[in-house]
Amino acid sequence: MSSFKTSLAHEFTKGLWKENPVLRMLLGLCPTLAVTNSAVNGLSMGLAVIFTLTCSSTLISLIRNIVPKQVRIPTFIIVIATFVTVADRTLAAFFPTISKALGPYVPLIVVNCIILGRQEAFASKNPVHRAIIDALGMSIGFTLTLTILGMFRELLGAGSIFNLPIMPESFDTWLVMILPPGAFLALGLMIGIANWINSKLGIKS
Amino acid sequence: MSNTARMIIVLTIAAILSGAILSVYNFYTYPKIQAHRQTELEKAIFEVIPDAEEYKKLELGEKVYYVGCTKKEKELGVAFLAEGNGFQGKISILVGMNMDMDTILAIKILEQVETPGLGTKIVDDPSNPEDRKWFTNQFKGLRALPEITYVKNEKPSKPGQIQAITGATISSRSVVEILNNAIKENREIFLKR
Amino acid sequence: MNLLLIFISAAVVNNYVLTYFLGLCPFVGVSKKIGPAVSMGLATTFVMTMTATVTWLIYHLILVPLKLEFLQIVSFILVIASLVQLVEMFVRKVSKPLYDALGIYLPLITTNCAILGLALFMVMKQYDFIEGIIFGFGAGAGFTLAIVIMAGIRTQLELADVPEPFKGAGITMITAGCLALAFMGFAGLI
Repeated sequence: MSSFKTSLAHEFTKGLWKENPVLRMLLGLCPTLAVTNSAVNGLSMGLAVIFTLTCSSTLISLIRNIVPKQVRIPTFIIVIATFVTVADRTLAAFFPTISKALGPYVPLIVVNCIILGRQEAFASKNPVHRAIIDALGMSIGFTLTLTILGMFRELLGAGSIFNLPIMPESFDTWLVMILPPGAFLALGLMIGIANWINSKLGIKS
Repeated sequence: MSNTARMIIVLTIAAILSGAILSVYNFYTYPKIQAHRQTELEKAIFEVIPDAEEYKKLELGEKVYYVGCTKKEKELGVAFLAEGNGFQGKISILVGMNMDMDTILAIKILEQVETPGLGTKIVDDPSNPEDRKWFTNQFKGLRALPEITYVKNEKPSKPGQIQAITGATISSRSVVEILNNAIKENREIFLKR
Repeated sequence: MNLLLIFISAAVVNNYVLTYFLGLCPFVGVSKKIGPAVSMGLATTFVMTMTATVTWLIYHLILVPLKLEFLQIVSFILVIASLVQLVEMFVRKVSKPLYDALGIYLPLITTNCAILGLALFMVMKQYDFIEGIIFGFGAGAGFTLAIVIMAGIRTQLELADVPEPFKGAGITMITAGCLALAFMGFAGLI
């Protein structure tokens, strides 16, 4: 457990790189791989996670002393599922195109290990402001990873980034990158590169 | 208070609150979601019966037909749903036909899960920038009787023939088969009305 | 025929792990050796079939008639969590050897997104009761197939000389990518 002496700034930045949920802790892989066939999809999924994680962490931290230990997990799940449904309905009502593109992966945020993991490891043991900072850091780290992965796959697979054509006309798109195998390959590469940078910086995994 | 009682109370309150919040939120968003679906369907109907200005819903048994007509109630064509298996999963198509159901007016692919970049060319083909919807456009005014056929790597020569997409023959063939089956089945029901 | 198609589609063509990316945590976590991989696969298949059955009943007999479809996510996840608990207790009572083989994997399955994913996909595809069960069973069989093949490859990989930064997760992902590429060959089956 992080001690109370650690600064809030540290609480925020750890999620971005050192404890990046996807690259370092291998959590939440399912949406990471499934929706990153374009940068827009990756970013929208990230935003949905920012919303769900921040709201859940805030609420869980507020009620952390009321909930008995034994029913901790079911309560967390109810809270998370409620916020996920809100996110899902909001997307369906106001952003139907995004909702269609992300499909069932929005409801699946419920079982995203990042969310439950942060409640169990952090929000249920820390005061509200810390829980919020931690949730923001983690989910922004998640969003950044997804967006970069989406940009990389979209660039090679469709020759564009955020739907803006980047590659010259003569570029033959690597279809495999926007197909499922490309997701695994791209993430494998990204994890490898992150580990390499860390070993240069002297950070242990 | 005993621990068991507290557990039950906390869980019950959590569940009730969750249900209540979601009911309220659903009450607020549901009409919007329905409205989106409705607009999407209407847009598709007017796309597959191009000159229609309004439409009537017609239910025959389990089948639903949308008859497109002008403001003066002249019937221009009928639209119905055709569904079947594609390369990887279900393809669902809205088909617009003339009232005798022998010629296709236009089709619109509503849902598909074909391979991105290959099979998805049935909806959008970026390799043909002048006409990215060339595949579905081939069906405009296509004679559907006795049946639609397809050719590979050459221009269609006979009536009722279309050209399959190179690299996505199975997806193209699936679309043709789905249409043939659906037209045959719906013709019998619709013409007897 | 239709049922066979659903089974093949769920098991290999739209393999849960390799095309829908569901159930990746156990896929990465429990695929180091073949033995545990087989047990995990069987436990998941079992729970998936049960989940398909129960969530179909809940959705079509309770949620739809009461117009409560928006409670889908909340109710499914709670049902799955309690179902896994029940299955665990039941297996422990009924068969000791089965419990020893599957026991420790069962609790892990609650947080396996493949299970909730299965329930959501089943509703989305509007399967009837029998189709739903076959779909669940097929998805489980596909998961077992993928995790066992992966375990086989990883035991071989231990002897390979992998560049330092790619050891562990990196090479596992890339291997999974190659496997997914191979599974794409099944796509023409339906």
